Amino acid sequence: MIHSSALGGEILIDCQSLWKIFGHNTRAALEAVTRRGATKADVLRDFNCVVGVSDVSLQLRRGEIFCIMGLSGSGKSTLIRLLNRLIDPSDGRVIVKGQDISTMDAARLRQVRARDIGMVFQSVALLPNRTVLENTGFGLEVQGIGKAERDRAALAALEKVGLSQWTDRYPSELSGGMQQRVGLARALTSDPEIILMDEPFSALDPLIRRQLQDEFRQLTKQLGKSAVFITHDLDEAIRIGDRIAIMTDGAIIQTGTAEEIILNPADQYVADFVAGISRLHLVKAHSVMIPVQDYLRTHPASEISALPHASADADMEALIGLISSGDRDAVAVQDGGRLTGIVTIRNLLLGLSDKPGRLERVA
Amino acid sequence: MALSDHIQTFDYAVDDALFWVSDNAAFLFDGIRAGLDGFYGLVLAIFILPPFWVVALAAGLIGWRAVGPRFGALAALGLAACWLMGLWAESMDTLALVVSATLVALAIALPLGVIAGYLPSLDRAFEPMLDLFQTLPPYIYLLPAIALLGYGSATALTATVIVAIPPVIRLTSLGIRRTPREFLELGQATGVTGWQMFRKIRLPFALPSIMAGINQGLMMAFGMVVIAGIVGAGGLGKTIYDAMRTLNIATSIDAAIAIVILTMVLDRITQAFAPQRRETP
Repeated sequence: MIHSSALGGEILIDCQSLWKIFGHNTRAALEAVTRRGATKADVLRDFNCVVGVSDVSLQLRRGEIFCIMGLSGSGKSTLIRLLNRLIDPSDGRVIVKGQDISTMDAARLRQVRARDIGMVFQSVALLPNRTVLENTGFGLEVQGIGKAERDRAALAALEKVGLSQWTDRYPSELSGGMQQRVGLARALTSDPEIILMDEPFSALDPLIRRQLQDEFRQLTKQLGKSAVFITHDLDEAIRIGDRIAIMTDGAIIQTGTAEEIILNPADQYVADFVAGISRLHLVKAHSVMIPVQDYLRTHPASEISALPHASADADMEALIGLISSGDRDAVAVQDGGRLTGIVTIRNLLLGLSDKPGRLERVA
Repeated sequence: MALSDHIQTFDYAVDDALFWVSDNAAFLFDGIRAGLDGFYGLVLAIFILPPFWVVALAAGLIGWRAVGPRFGALAALGLAACWLMGLWAESMDTLALVVSATLVALAIALPLGVIAGYLPSLDRAFEPMLDLFQTLPPYIYLLPAIALLGYGSATALTATVIVAIPPVIRLTSLGIRRTPREFLELGQATGVTGWQMFRKIRLPFALPSIMAGINQGLMMAFGMVVIAGIVGAGGLGKTIYDAMRTLNIATSIDAAIAIVILTMVLDRITQAFAPQRRETP
């Protein structure tokens, strides 16, 4: 699920040291935090202010799905609302497609929200007095687009999410999963480049949730959209995200691919978090292989050409399959036909263990 | 000075003010009076000019479309009963008074309610005034109304408008204020203008509450019918008032039945116009 190719694209959203402090005396509180290093507890006690987002910088690149994972109260919902300025930042800048939205006037900001950034909410927020089709075309209606054209666009978006048969129904006639599909279709109708997803699937039951996760990822990639996806569920972040940011206490403590975060957690908090995650599909051959010379030193009799072959992107499960179906105890890793390393059973087991520190010593 | 002197001074001041207003602003109150009388006359013409069966049939048809066939039939029969009791002209007079007063009240209260819904400070300022209007016995403002507007339907209309206004302002403001947060957020994230936010998001959510306010205003207006009879409005109020003075119990009961019929017909029809909210499960 991880595509490192997505990491090189043009930057669509660039957040630079974003702060959000809630309360009345936010100026003074901000100064205390940034200049004098006051803690959250100090700020709460001295200024009666709450730090919602603390010095967050992140970049959303074209074509990638960027997941922000955090538990409730971590500030992730505040953060995503800073990206389209539903909440004004206390400090820092948000640059969307090269334009600083923190200084934009109201008319220009409306235009950016209407054309460039779609948003999907956890509560879905389908207007109960409108049909599915009318809800889906809402964004275009607001932009003053004629009924025929917006109905056509809305129907096309509903087709993408598989709901073209439900256009004349009312939201209350749809199941939770279908409602959220309409929410996604509504965000897609205005054809924005960026989609903000605020815990869209959290309220759904597990089966539907997995189905929608896969559909969402597929659709986003197919349409070439870029997305910021908020979730409190690490499994969901791993399933959907090209990159994941882990957020706690208003700050992002680590950003990287699922594999990077699992193999090299930035601190104990992240390590505890990723401890229960299955590595079978996340850890790839290139992360656990050892150099060929090292292998030959310990296995001088081994014949490399007789080992089964795997690509550098092969996951643990594929490697286990290769080893267990033959009589060899190692796999040769090839990248573009060139031999780059060896994965032994020992490396494999360490790659699956949730104590990745030892892996580094081996590899 | 004794306390009673103070009170006397206050009373003189009120009297003087009232005389001053009626002397110096006569043109204003004459204008208001003419406007109210004219509007009332126009509404009355709609009800009184057609033969009774046209009005009864129309009420039946509206009742059928808005509520259901059974209610439609009952509404038509009810109006026919008013005619059979020999109270048709009086009933239409009362209906016209209530409807025109409610329309005037809506013209004032709906905009104020919407503004109060947007401005919590204004809403808080309205609160004690509305409480005052709703708790004061209506007779209290009949006297100054008579002094300024004279004896007749304009005064009755004014008193009825005053009692119909508070529930409309309250419930309109409540409906506008209570838009669910996630829908305000949806509007913002979609890039709506202020007007679009009102028209496409706040108003649809407020509509059931606003319709409840209109319905309550209408019911309050019906409550003023008898009092309106005292100040010369005519209609069923006058019938009851006259019957009371001559102890004509049968007539007063007939008139009361007619009022109940009119009230129920308008109540059910306006209730049915409140849109059924399609709740998200």
